[in-house]
Amino acid sequence: MSAVAAARLPRLSRTTKAWLTEWNRIGEQTQFYARTLASIRDAFGAYPAETLRMIAQMGLGVEALAIIGGTVGIVGFLTVSAGSIIGVQGYNSLNNIGVGALTGFFAAYFMGRVICPLIAVVGLSATIGAGATAQLGAMRINEEIDALEVMGIRTVAYLASTRVIAGVLVVIPLYCIALVMSYWAARFTTTAVYGQSTGIYDHYFSTFLAPTDIIWSLFQAILMGLVVMLVHTYYGFNAAGGPAGVGEAVGRAVRASLISAVMVILLATLAIYGQNPNFHLSGG
Amino acid sequence: MLAIPFTVLGVFILNILLLEIGAGDLSGSGAALGTVTQIGPVVTVLVVAGAGATSMCADLGARTIREELDALRVIGINPIQSLVAPRVLASTLVSLLLSGLVMITGLVGGFAFSVWLQHVSPGAFISGLTLLTGAPELVIAYIKAGLFGFFASLIACFKGITVGGGPAGVGNAVNQTVVFAFMALLVIDVIVTAVGVKATL
Repeated sequence: MSAVAAARLPRLSRTTKAWLTEWNRIGEQTQFYARTLASIRDAFGAYPAETLRMIAQMGLGVEALAIIGGTVGIVGFLTVSAGSIIGVQGYNSLNNIGVGALTGFFAAYFMGRVICPLIAVVGLSATIGAGATAQLGAMRINEEIDALEVMGIRTVAYLASTRVIAGVLVVIPLYCIALVMSYWAARFTTTAVYGQSTGIYDHYFSTFLAPTDIIWSLFQAILMGLVVMLVHTYYGFNAAGGPAGVGEAVGRAVRASLISAVMVILLATLAIYGQNPNFHLSGG
Repeated sequence: MLAIPFTVLGVFILNILLLEIGAGDLSGSGAALGTVTQIGPVVTVLVVAGAGATSMCADLGARTIREELDALRVIGINPIQSLVAPRVLASTLVSLLLSGLVMITGLVGGFAFSVWLQHVSPGAFISGLTLLTGAPELVIAYIKAGLFGFFASLIACFKGITVGGGPAGVGNAVNQTVVFAFMALLVIDVIVTAVGVKATL
C-alpha cells in the first residue's frame, strides 16, 4: 500500500519522509542531551582527571588559538570590540538628540542586559564549542570513540559530560572578564576617543548600573554555556563523512548552538524583566 | 531565523526604556536604527561566518588533504583562480543580499513584538522608522555586509588551503576560521561604524 502511494504521490511522500527524519533527529538529540546530563555524576565520580584536563584545555585553548591568548583572549577581544561599538554608535546617536551625557547610562543599561550575553555566546560557541566539535568529530571519524566503547569506557560520560562540566565551569570567570572588559572599552571609547568628561560618564554609569542586572546576566551566561556545550558535543559525537564531514559538523553546530542559545537568552530575558523591568529613570 | 530573537531582544529592552520615559511612540525609530545599523550586519556576519565560511573551509580543507589541489596545480590550473576567487565573489554577493533579508525580517519581528505584545501604536511605529535611519545608514549597512562577506570568505579559503594533519586538522581549521572571522568582522564593524557616523553627520 505504501509503495503504491509513494509511486503515485512522489512529492508528498518525500516531504513526509523528510519531516519524519527531522522529527526523529530532534528526538535523538533530546535523548543525547538527557543522557549527557544524567552522566555528569559519572563524569565527576569515574573520570575526575579527564574533567580537570578539559577545564584546563578550554581555559587556555589549543594549538593556534592558544598563541593569541586562548579562549580568554578571544572572548575578551570580542567584548572589547562590542564595547567600542556601543561607545561609537551610542555616543553619536545620543549626541544627535542632544543627550550625549547619557552614554554612560546607555552602556550600563544595554551592556549587561543584552550585548554582553550575546557577544559572549558568539565567543563561546566559536572557541570552546567549535573546538569540542572538531575534537569529537575527528575522534568519531578515526573510530577512536568506537575503540573507547570496546574498552568498556562510558563514552558519553567520558567525552561529552566532562566537556559540558568544563564548559559551564569555564564560563563563569570568562564571563566576568568579558563584562569588565566591555564596560572598560565603552568608557575608553566615550571618554578618551570622543572626549566626554570622565565625571559625567562615571556618574550616569554608576547611577544606572543595577547589581541585580549583573547577577542575572551571569546566570544567563551559565545557562547558555550549558546549551552551547550540549549542542556542540552532540554534533561532534555524531559526525560522519570523512574529513569534510568534521568541518561540516562544526559549521552546523555553530549555527544550531547560536540559534538555540540566543533563543534561551531571549526567553530568560523575558522571564527576568518581562513582569518587572527593574528600571527607574523617571523616579517611578 | 536568527534575526528574530536578536531584534526582539533589542526591541524589548529598548521599549522598557522608552515606555518608562513616556516615549513609546519612538520605538519604531529605535528598532529601525538598531536593526539597520547593527543587528542586520552582525546577524549577517554570524550566518556568513557560521554557515558559509565553515562549509567553504571544510570543503577546501578536505580537498587539500586528499591532495586534489596539488593535482590541479600539476595539470596547470591555478587553484586560487579556479577555487578561491569564485567563492570570494559568491560570498560577497550572498552576504549583500542576505543583509537585506535580515533587515526586513528583523523589522517585521520588531513590529510584531512591539505592537502585539508591548502595545505600541502601529502607526507611530511605522512613521518612526525613518526618523533616525535614512539612505546613508542603509548604504553603510550594505557596505559593512559586503566587506564581511569578502573577508570571511578570504579567511575561510586561506585556512582551507593551508590545512594539514588529517580529519582533526580540518576540524581545527574550521574552528580557527570561525574564530578569526568573528574577530575580523567585529573589528570591521567598529571601524566602519566610526567612519560612517563621521561621514553622515
